[in-house]
Amino acid sequence: MTRLALQPAPPRLTYLQMVLRDTLRGVGPRVGLAWLVVLTFLAVFAPFLANSYPYAVRTTDGSLSFPLFRYLRPVDVALPVMTLLALLAWRLFGRVPARWRLLVWVLASSAVCAACFLTIKPPLRQTYDRYREQVKQGEVIWAITTPIPYSPSDRLSELRFLAPSASPWRLMGTEGNGADVFSRMVHASRIAMAIGLIATSIALVIGVIVGGLMGYFSGIVDLIGMRLVEIFAAVPTFFLLLILVAVMPPEWNPYKLYVMMVIIGITGWVGYARFVRAEFLRLREQDFVTSARACGLPLSSILFRHMLPNGMAPVLVEASFGVAGAILAESTLSFLGLGLVDQPSWGQMLSESISGTGSFKWWMAFFPGMAIFLTVFAYNLVGESLRDAIDPHTRKVAAL
Amino acid sequence: MANYIIRRLILLVPTLLGMTFVVFMIMALSPGGIGGSLLNDLGELDSQQSRAIRQYYENRYGINQPVIVQYVKWLNLVSPVGFRSQRDETGKPHYTSFGFKWPDLGESMAKHRPVSTMIAEALPITLLLNLITTPIVYILAILMGIYAARYRGKMLDVGLSTSMLALWSLPTIMIAVLLIGFLANRDNLHWFPPGGFNSVEAHTMAFLPHRTEAGFERGWLLDRGWHLVLPVLCMLYGSFAWLMKLMRSSLLENLSADFVRTARAKGLSDNRVLWGHAFRNSLLPLITVLAGVLPGLLAGSVVIEKIFSLPGMGNLAIEAINARDREVVLATTLISGLLSLLCILVADLLYTLADPRVSYE
Repeated sequence: MTRLALQPAPPRLTYLQMVLRDTLRGVGPRVGLAWLVVLTFLAVFAPFLANSYPYAVRTTDGSLSFPLFRYLRPVDVALPVMTLLALLAWRLFGRVPARWRLLVWVLASSAVCAACFLTIKPPLRQTYDRYREQVKQGEVIWAITTPIPYSPSDRLSELRFLAPSASPWRLMGTEGNGADVFSRMVHASRIAMAIGLIATSIALVIGVIVGGLMGYFSGIVDLIGMRLVEIFAAVPTFFLLLILVAVMPPEWNPYKLYVMMVIIGITGWVGYARFVRAEFLRLREQDFVTSARACGLPLSSILFRHMLPNGMAPVLVEASFGVAGAILAESTLSFLGLGLVDQPSWGQMLSESISGTGSFKWWMAFFPGMAIFLTVFAYNLVGESLRDAIDPHTRKVAAL
Repeated sequence: MANYIIRRLILLVPTLLGMTFVVFMIMALSPGGIGGSLLNDLGELDSQQSRAIRQYYENRYGINQPVIVQYVKWLNLVSPVGFRSQRDETGKPHYTSFGFKWPDLGESMAKHRPVSTMIAEALPITLLLNLITTPIVYILAILMGIYAARYRGKMLDVGLSTSMLALWSLPTIMIAVLLIGFLANRDNLHWFPPGGFNSVEAHTMAFLPHRTEAGFERGWLLDRGWHLVLPVLCMLYGSFAWLMKLMRSSLLENLSADFVRTARAKGLSDNRVLWGHAFRNSLLPLITVLAGVLPGLLAGSVVIEKIFSLPGMGNLAIEAINARDREVVLATTLISGLLSLLCILVADLLYTLADPRVSYE
């Protein structure tokens, strides 16, 4: 995109491309996007960056072992492969239409996911101590460790609440159960990003369908739909979220991450439905919709192929604020103790900093809090700049 | 105008019905169902005792009846027109005559207290938090917004816009934890209390601060204010940042409008143009979002109340949801829903004050 920004605008840019170019013009959104790229990298490669198992160990008895790779979970393999496929599809096959690239990527990554979950069976018991024992015994000749040599669930009870200044190896200190804060932060970025993106996608899909139908048909559909929207808008979203999370059956706890995505998604669709409805009410009177209808196109084609791309821009703005909101919602729920149980989460780490013995552990408040803040800020910066880019009026005012 | 208000008030009813029904069904269909954890705890008692307790709940609160029947009975209880009921000596309600009656919120299953008294204790706390916060937020946001718009494009304005976005992005939980950790902790500065609404000895204090032989005594009022500083600060900054950005952009929009250019061309002073022509128009979007800010503050105070352990509506609601306490959950939903819908109505009415062109006749 930067290449595009430096050149004078080529004549055949699509509307979306122009919006993207204008969005990334300022410093703020670029810094925001850079942080999101860093965070995505951390999220995708978390187990390769923070792990108690070294990449490779050569011991005195002459054997060479690769403990990190033996203990990888299916998702740890599937995510990097899918990311590489996405990069390949984006950079290498620039000539192929975007639809086809997307389709190929979706098919390939489903195949990768299926293959990973079927073939990879990591050992159930984690034995973090073995490598440390070997080092202590002097059996290790050399070993390649990860940059952060601790797993998020590697709890060393003798190292409770270690301040960052206490040990050069614990850059951000340790938690109450001896787990490394930095390592947990890196792994928590995976959960935050996943919840933010997937919950927003769910909300977006529901909102676009409901809002699109309301705007296209208007009349009685609109009337009923708006009452539904009003009901959901009048219950404070966070209150509804609390109710839904609190009444979740405990058997679902292993799948709580996915349940929370769905819950945050289904409580957040109202805003999108309103935006799409307003856009569709405006678009349905325009000539291209009439001609599409006159051609006898099916409803799904009129709604999603012809009207949606024209009404999508303001919804994208809402979506980027929505991702920030979903990340905030997850961290707040985890902070209140209603979130994920065993997995690392920024909000849950934050809550541990003042709980317990009453003394304040600043490193457990500052680092996770800053991570939440920077991520939310980044999404808001991008959203703000996107809004300015699609609104001709603010563009004029900003130029003044 | 009166017609319009009455029509809007009547339209509140179906929305409130829908809201309470959604919340009730979520609670009823969840595992454990209504009164779930109250009955689950019976597992530790022997079977005869647990049967007796279950009998008591079924008799007094009718939790063995079909879900829809329970909801309709609750509706009958809260509506001003309906069947009057009376409890017999075993506590089972019997329906007597049909007609006008006082709406009742029922009795909490977990606490065995009337819900109305529980709400009467909790609601003032949440309302107090919001009534302190909202005016401060609006006054500060309007003043700062005007300031930023007047000096638009200057260093100060650009810096202010970005820092307002940053302020808006700061998570409340982080700010709350840092404030408690640094300003209300024995290890650091112990300036403020870490939680609660009053000191333990507050009821023995005089109302106003005064001087005694023992020295300065802060009194009940100052004690409460001292407890409220941190929670109000946490609720303040987010909506302030958002509203300030809104005020700035709305004022900028008006300042570039034709009528302002005309006013300038007439030779009016900058101040007259700003306060006499552009200011009132710029308030419109702020009034519209008042409807969104107040429910947001109510919900936002759930987190604040939990962190600072204030016994407000949010805490009441969380406790009630965890116990699946039917009457309390429905009452908190009803009251917070009613408050937010009334806020929307008030915002619509305020609109006519700011913009004489709008009328609801």
